Amino acid sequence: MTTLLYNHPVCMEHDMGYGHPECPDRLVAIYGALKQPAFAALQWRDAPAATPEQLIRVHPQRYLDRIMAAVPKDGLRALDGDTALCPSSGEAALRAAGATCAAVDAIMAGEADNAFCAVRPPGHHAEPGRAMGFCVFNNVAVGAIHARKVYGLDRVAIIDFDVHHGNGTQAVFEHQPEYMYLSSHQWPLYPGTGRSSERGVGNIVNLPLSPYSGSEEIRNGWATLLAPPLRAFRPDFIFISAGFDAHRLDPLAQLNFTEDDYAWLTREILDIAAEFCKGRVISTLEGGYSLSALAASVAVHVRALMEAPALAQIA
Amino acid sequence: MYEFLKYTVKDVMTPSPLTTTPDTLLRELEKIFETHDFNGIPVLNHEGRLVGMVTKYDLLKAFIFTPDSPIPRYGLIMDRPASSVMSLDPVTVTPDMPLSRLLQELVELQTKSFPVVENGRLVGIISREDVLKALRRTTEA
Repeated sequence: MTTLLYNHPVCMEHDMGYGHPECPDRLVAIYGALKQPAFAALQWRDAPAATPEQLIRVHPQRYLDRIMAAVPKDGLRALDGDTALCPSSGEAALRAAGATCAAVDAIMAGEADNAFCAVRPPGHHAEPGRAMGFCVFNNVAVGAIHARKVYGLDRVAIIDFDVHHGNGTQAVFEHQPEYMYLSSHQWPLYPGTGRSSERGVGNIVNLPLSPYSGSEEIRNGWATLLAPPLRAFRPDFIFISAGFDAHRLDPLAQLNFTEDDYAWLTREILDIAAEFCKGRVISTLEGGYSLSALAASVAVHVRALMEAPALAQIA
Repeated sequence: MYEFLKYTVKDVMTPSPLTTTPDTLLRELEKIFETHDFNGIPVLNHEGRLVGMVTKYDLLKAFIFTPDSPIPRYGLIMDRPASSVMSLDPVTVTPDMPLSRLLQELVELQTKSFPVVENGRLVGIISREDVLKALRRTTEA
């Protein structure tokens, strides 16, 4: 079967100013890796813009109006101290959220097993009514709700291994037991949420990691604290908030993950997807600010996604 | 052999050291550190009383990652005043303190320098380097 790769040129035009680490070059680095012959089997698709109907399941209409009205004709418009819009940002944000919905549609139609959405701006910090931490729309939340509402799935899980806690995704789902949100992240770190005591209605699982944690801590944490509740949840669809800023070379945090850890974690997730939901996985780019580490980590992540069918057969 | 025991703080301290004020900006402090290579600078208020010490460590600490933002606001942080990062009520020593006792405190507190205060006024600063110099002088064959 097939792995889809969603992207759009406008996602490379979203530019928050000179030197900002969440920059277009991140996608240049990723595409550079994924255009290699080893990835020839990837099916590239243009990310469509999310529809108002898809977005409003997460973000109130007045927030959508405010964001689109804030898109400047030229220059930059700040949404918070670290998040800004340029003239292309509105369309980029719409397509970033639309990518997850299109990927859901394609997978539910049997066109592919899984997908990676190489889009920006990222999404997991975006709360229903608040852009923050480089994020505008919560791309993964929009896709997850789309999967449940349109296809009548009972349970959707979201696994977030970005180094920062996905406060936005947690805020969207913490009162909705049909969704499970599981996150590993450095703590303390921005945005300050993600303590293990934050459990929602029993559907939020946070694994805060101390600075300098690496392979051993994430693999043990996954096996003992994240995988068991995920299995018990029996997901019908799995989303991944795929941030690669827990890598040992990332300049924005102090965890010590390696490419091998990302490959391992991806295979672990795919194993569970094969067991419970026919391998249905959509992974969406969040953070990752060392361009070389990002490219290498995305490469092993996507490679694991492409090899998933073999895993599914074994399972 | 026992020469070092005769030394007191005033024998090796730097008298009348460079000082700064609570409202000095971090970017100005950084320039002072770059120019003079001090470990720390005493902070005096407008009446000339010692109100704190600011060190390179304090300056660095202002730029660490915190839950407040994904990226430290490097430029804005440089415009904060010394009062936002300085150590309040620093440990002080007196000019007549035996150097052997001063050495003990340097090691136990892992401090790089102490302000020297007499009758409530700053009269000097003494650092690790000053003590090392005294050790060398008193142990030379």
